[in-house]
Amino acid sequence: MALYNFKRIQPVPPANDFLDIVLSKTQRKTPTVIHKNYKIGRIRQFYMRKVKFTQDSFEEKLKAMLEEFPKLDDIHPFYSDLMNVLYDKDHYKIALGQINTARHLIDQVAKEYVRLLKFGDSLYRCKQLKKAALGRMATIMKRQKDSLVYLEQVRQHLARLPSIDPNTRTLLICGYPNVGKSSFMNKITRADVDVQPYAFTTKSLFVGHMDYRYLRWQVIDTPGILDHPLEQMNTIEMQSVTALAHLRACIMFFMDLSEQCGYSVKDQITLYQNVKPLFVNKPTFIVINKIDVTRPEDLPEDEQIMLKEIAERDGAQIVQLSCHTDEGVIDVRNTACDKLLAARVDFKLKGNKINEVINKIHLAEPIARDDIPRTPFIPEQVKGRPLYDMKDPKRRKLERDLEAEGGGPGVFSVDLKKKYLLKNDEWKYDAIPEIIDGKNIIDFVDPDIAEKLDALEREEQKLEAEGYYDSAEEMVDSEEEETKRLAEIIKEKKKLIIQAHRAKKMMKNRPVMPRTVITKSVEEMEEQLGQLGLDASAIRGRSLTRKRKRTETDDMDVDYPPSSPQASRSISVARSKSAVRDRSIAGLADTKQQKETEKQKKLSQRKSNLLAKVGESDRSIKVKRPKHLFSSKMTNGKKDWR
Amino acid sequence: MAVRAQFENSNELGVFSRLTNSYCLVAIGGSENFYSVFESELGDVIPVVHASIAGTRIVGRLSAGNRKGLLVPSTTTDQELQHLRNSLPDSVKIQRIEERLSALGNVIACNDYVALVHPDIDRETQEIIRDVLEVEVFTQTIAGNVLVGSYCAISNQGGLVHPRTTVQDQDELSSLLQIPLVAGTINRGSDVIGAGIVVNDWTAFAGLDSTSTELSVVESIFKLHDAQPTAIVKQMRDSLVDTYS
Repeated sequence: MALYNFKRIQPVPPANDFLDIVLSKTQRKTPTVIHKNYKIGRIRQFYMRKVKFTQDSFEEKLKAMLEEFPKLDDIHPFYSDLMNVLYDKDHYKIALGQINTARHLIDQVAKEYVRLLKFGDSLYRCKQLKKAALGRMATIMKRQKDSLVYLEQVRQHLARLPSIDPNTRTLLICGYPNVGKSSFMNKITRADVDVQPYAFTTKSLFVGHMDYRYLRWQVIDTPGILDHPLEQMNTIEMQSVTALAHLRACIMFFMDLSEQCGYSVKDQITLYQNVKPLFVNKPTFIVINKIDVTRPEDLPEDEQIMLKEIAERDGAQIVQLSCHTDEGVIDVRNTACDKLLAARVDFKLKGNKINEVINKIHLAEPIARDDIPRTPFIPEQVKGRPLYDMKDPKRRKLERDLEAEGGGPGVFSVDLKKKYLLKNDEWKYDAIPEIIDGKNIIDFVDPDIAEKLDALEREEQKLEAEGYYDSAEEMVDSEEEETKRLAEIIKEKKKLIIQAHRAKKMMKNRPVMPRTVITKSVEEMEEQLGQLGLDASAIRGRSLTRKRKRTETDDMDVDYPPSSPQASRSISVARSKSAVRDRSIAGLADTKQQKETEKQKKLSQRKSNLLAKVGESDRSIKVKRPKHLFSSKMTNGKKDWR
Repeated sequence: MAVRAQFENSNELGVFSRLTNSYCLVAIGGSENFYSVFESELGDVIPVVHASIAGTRIVGRLSAGNRKGLLVPSTTTDQELQHLRNSLPDSVKIQRIEERLSALGNVIACNDYVALVHPDIDRETQEIIRDVLEVEVFTQTIAGNVLVGSYCAISNQGGLVHPRTTVQDQDELSSLLQIPLVAGTINRGSDVIGAGIVVNDWTAFAGLDSTSTELSVVESIFKLHDAQPTAIVKQMRDSLVDTYS
């Protein structure tokens, strides 16, 4: 249904209004002040913007229009044919086409003038160019006057079309004028179609809805058709023909045998035969209306035979009803609906879609897996009890009624304890504390708790009496102590590991010393390995064996006496350590130079150190008394400072 | 008779109520309208109880139960438990269970004889379900959904399952539950059956949006008003085919 909603198309203004809307929008939404002294680039920019903006607004409005109006090739053939009948397809397409052309023309005009504006050399020239551009756009739009008026009419008419869903279950009522189509429609739906005793009361399609077999049905009332060739039919009749041709519906061809409608039975039969090609493959009914006046049996012999013939030839079913006396109305409706439904289901069963539905129309019946009866449990009171009746003055009082008496929702508060099922009704409103003596009483709500506790205590006593607890005690003692000691060690170790890990984590964002730089003495290494329970002697042994007795003759450049600590140090220092040098003293001749360098460094860093903690947001007064604020010419002379 | 109802503009009334053959829990709402819908239908037969569980109104999703018992999650407060104990008849056992999947209504679907449960539910919980509700327990999925309680509604008479349950699955479930089953929707096409409808052996409440086709399926499968499940494949078949496809 939502698929075909033409009510949302925006109104189409007539050409003059259209211009007013667009031009006033340009005036409102673009800057309006310009001066000839401005830079020429700015002036050009100003006018280009106006031209472009106007073009954009035109474009936007026209594009919206083109998108909103339904495209005849995209919509359901029923609607496209109906629109052809009502508004003339060619006319409609031309109108939309012209709008599209206008859109392109305006686009080109804007491009052209924007290009020209780039060469405008004065405010005056630029303004003239802008004026010309808008003028040409306006002329193009004014030429679309007729299309716009036509499209507005189409829009208004489209919005009033009934929302027919071409794909749903539909009963389509057709026949000569005045045979009682609209009366039948009024009988079975609540559409309230106008019924008058003259031909062509119904001038367009009408839609009504009804419910049958848990489903929603759409009933379409069509204007009457006269028996003449398709070319001679007027717009009103053509609507009926469109509906007949394109909707996969149940066709109900109405006939009036009493000839009150002003057309003979023969005429009606010929009409049926002429429009018959439109009913092919659709469930069809010939509905004899007004049987309170004339029944088929009252007809002359030859007409009866004709009637039967046409029905038999096409498989149409003849049904009878009288809208006047209501005779047969519901029967006809039901038979029609049933036949249509059967036809639709047949069609669907042939298609692929049925595979998705097959599980929903399957009733899974249980296969008995044992002999246990699983009977439903329905209390005796349920059977034959009167249903609650809202209108019964003696009805049960519900909470809703109490609420209404008690001040309505938000004021009334429900009595939750009213319906408690307790041994004694007086207990209902007893206040029960949640906690007594620091104990949650719900933990003790057990009628047998005293008994259970007793049983436990008795068992305990019994065990004690039997000496269950005495014997094993000492054995446990020594064992337990050992376990405890081990546990203590493990705990300690764990703690240390955690601490080390934490310390490591703390280092995350700090500068890390590379391992190669860190110096570790052999003693430290030995200690660590010792802690890990490894034998460190091998390492030590290697460095020891490498150690050679240094004789004085070996030492070419001896600086220290052999007994001094430096001497032994220089011998034992590992290779890794010798690689590290203090770069801050590299290239300096002596301590004097070193000191001087240090001094210079500190001096040069002083300022940045001082400012190290100052940020942009810190308040600072750069100049106490800025001169430009404190000096000016006074009436009596000049003053530098005031 | 299937009754249409709404809880404060929500059609998911299975979220806010739990209906069994011996009691009915209803959430405490802003007004008494929802409660009174249940009260008018059931008030003279079984207790209809205002309840909250863990301070929330989603009692239907948090609890599971049948005629013999009621299971509530560990988040239920002591006062709520006491209120339930006082309001329900003594024949109904109430048990608070420690289960990680605490929305018991979503993970347990049961009638008075059989329960289907979520495959991940604890073995201990299954034991408790077996003992408290006195049912046989089967771990199952419905149309590939593990939330069995959300995607089906069952009574002792019949059951409605997720619309995408295959025919084989339906037959299998039906044999487990020993009741006739049909796949369908509620609330104008919603597949969360457990939230859209609550049933017991003689009455059903469905969301206000449910169409007449859906309600007639409900009445037939749950044998309400002497309707028979066979109607679904006989009289109603054409209507169903036409609405679904």
